[in-house]
Amino acid sequence: MIDFELDEEQQLIRDTVVSFARDEIRPHAREADETGVIPPALVKQGWELGLVQSIIPEEYGGFGNPHSAVTGAVIDEELAYGDLSIAMHLLAPRLITVPVVEFGSDELKKTLLPAFCGEDFQAGSAAVMEPRIDFDVSAPATRLVREGDDYVVTGQKCYVPLGAEAQHFLVLAGTQNGNGSGAVHPQALVVARDTPGLTVGERERNMGIKALATTGLGLDGCKVPGDHVLSGGDEGSARLANLSRVALSSMAVGVARAAYDYARDYAKERHAFGQPIAQKQAIAFMLAEMAMEVDAMRLLTWEAAWKLDQGADATREAYLAKRYAADMSLKIADNAVQVLGGHGYIRDHLVELFLRNARGFATFEGLAIA
Amino acid sequence: MKILVTVKRVPDPETSIKVKPDGTGIVTDNIKWVVNPFDEIGVEEALRIKEKVAGSEVVLVSIGDKVAQEQLRTGLAMGADRAILVLADDLDPLGVARVLAKLVDDEKPDLIIMGKQAIDDDSNAVGQMLAELLGWPQGTFASQIELSDDQKSASVTREVDGGLETLSFPLPGVITADLRLNEPRYASLPGIMKARKKELKEIPVADLGVDVTPRVTITKMEPPPSREAGKIVASVEELVNLLHTEAKVI
Repeated sequence: MIDFELDEEQQLIRDTVVSFARDEIRPHAREADETGVIPPALVKQGWELGLVQSIIPEEYGGFGNPHSAVTGAVIDEELAYGDLSIAMHLLAPRLITVPVVEFGSDELKKTLLPAFCGEDFQAGSAAVMEPRIDFDVSAPATRLVREGDDYVVTGQKCYVPLGAEAQHFLVLAGTQNGNGSGAVHPQALVVARDTPGLTVGERERNMGIKALATTGLGLDGCKVPGDHVLSGGDEGSARLANLSRVALSSMAVGVARAAYDYARDYAKERHAFGQPIAQKQAIAFMLAEMAMEVDAMRLLTWEAAWKLDQGADATREAYLAKRYAADMSLKIADNAVQVLGGHGYIRDHLVELFLRNARGFATFEGLAIA
Repeated sequence: MKILVTVKRVPDPETSIKVKPDGTGIVTDNIKWVVNPFDEIGVEEALRIKEKVAGSEVVLVSIGDKVAQEQLRTGLAMGADRAILVLADDLDPLGVARVLAKLVDDEKPDLIIMGKQAIDDDSNAVGQMLAELLGWPQGTFASQIELSDDQKSASVTREVDGGLETLSFPLPGVITADLRLNEPRYASLPGIMKARKKELKEIPVADLGVDVTPRVTITKMEPPPSREAGKIVASVEELVNLLHTEAKVI
């Protein structure tokens, strides 16, 4: 009944993504972080892996492969192992294509999906988070109000990946019954860039994920046709939120594992008092704990992903995975800096980058989707 | 044109290899297996030819255990059309060359591309033997391959000591791939999903009626001696002295 074995396709997918992350992404991680730019050639090469096109139905130009959260979790972990910013950039188009494939109207699919099946990278984006102290992903303050056959959306968003490039945004808004006094229900919809009232802000200056271009997004009475609002109701919104938590948890596993591997290899090389520091209990215990937590994070994440693939509600599992992954990736990255001692704090080594990136998981919502 | 490409299952070069204590082989537990990197370059080259020459077919061949299916699937995911797996225990290079020669009789390819060697035993022998058995021309250690417009002949650039050597010969022929021939593509997700539906035929080696009796047997494997740490000397006199008395090289 319990089976942790990936199937043959998933193993091949992992192999290909592992090599790509190791040979193509990781060598660019430092420079991309310093300059804030991901080389277009790398983006193009990543696009050719078909991470986005794979699950788009054939009638819209894709390959019509089944969508699996477990496969997504495997891909997200391995790409983030290479570099979190680059992983998020390459996977950003999925933020809008996955929800539209699952919950979009035929009209919306026809409008949106073919653009994501071409030769070149097509930026996609989701506007989920809001710049307010009481932001709640299950009750966003951005309001969606029905006006005849159309909808009107108003609010402020932040941490919108590739905001400057994206032609469409998946926006998470809240609807309220009746006169605006009832409970808020989260509702996703697609807003085109050229919609009057939509403004894209300046590039945000973040502590981590510095190579990922994120912006703010203003929506001031943006009128959206009814077929741009996704179906699925509360359950659909919960499923999208859970797919996002699984993706972010997987990426946190990837960052944590990158930090752990870096620290372990360093500890085996670095000699002090006549032996590698990995032989010292203070270091060895720390490394053992890091290895343990990486696997624990992954197990929680995979359970949530597996449940999503069963079509079941995975809200509890996805929350547990996300919270644990956020805590542990930060702790593991911090320990990796500690293992490197003084070297860990300088930018010659990647562990400080892992630490800055890992710090984000406590904040991130909706920056990736499995 | 029809291109036959070999795909050998070998330990990942990133894996650290341990020799079994009894010296009969390597410890295979927890080893990750991959397509021999030189064969992967061969697959890539065949696919590039296929993209240029309409109507081409790329057929992969592996010889080994049933699990070598995984490596054939990788090649199919990169874009090859179908695959043949000859089920056999470890063969020596001549056995491999004879099995391939038999398959060539059946498949009648226009070109055979293989890695110049497999990174496990580094024999670097099968390509040459196969060409000899078939009576075909060979271009080994190719760093560049160019086909004539009618695909009746090939010219192969080889990196030799002190420069480049270019050979031209009529096809069919055997070409073995060197490291700088190309950079293999990554299998894409759609490619991986398509690979599942492609033909992968298994043939027990006994069905081929080829004599594969080994002429080479591995008698013992041992790890290379571990390198001693370097020594820092205080003076030229001491260095010369040590080179003479300890290293005995002068």
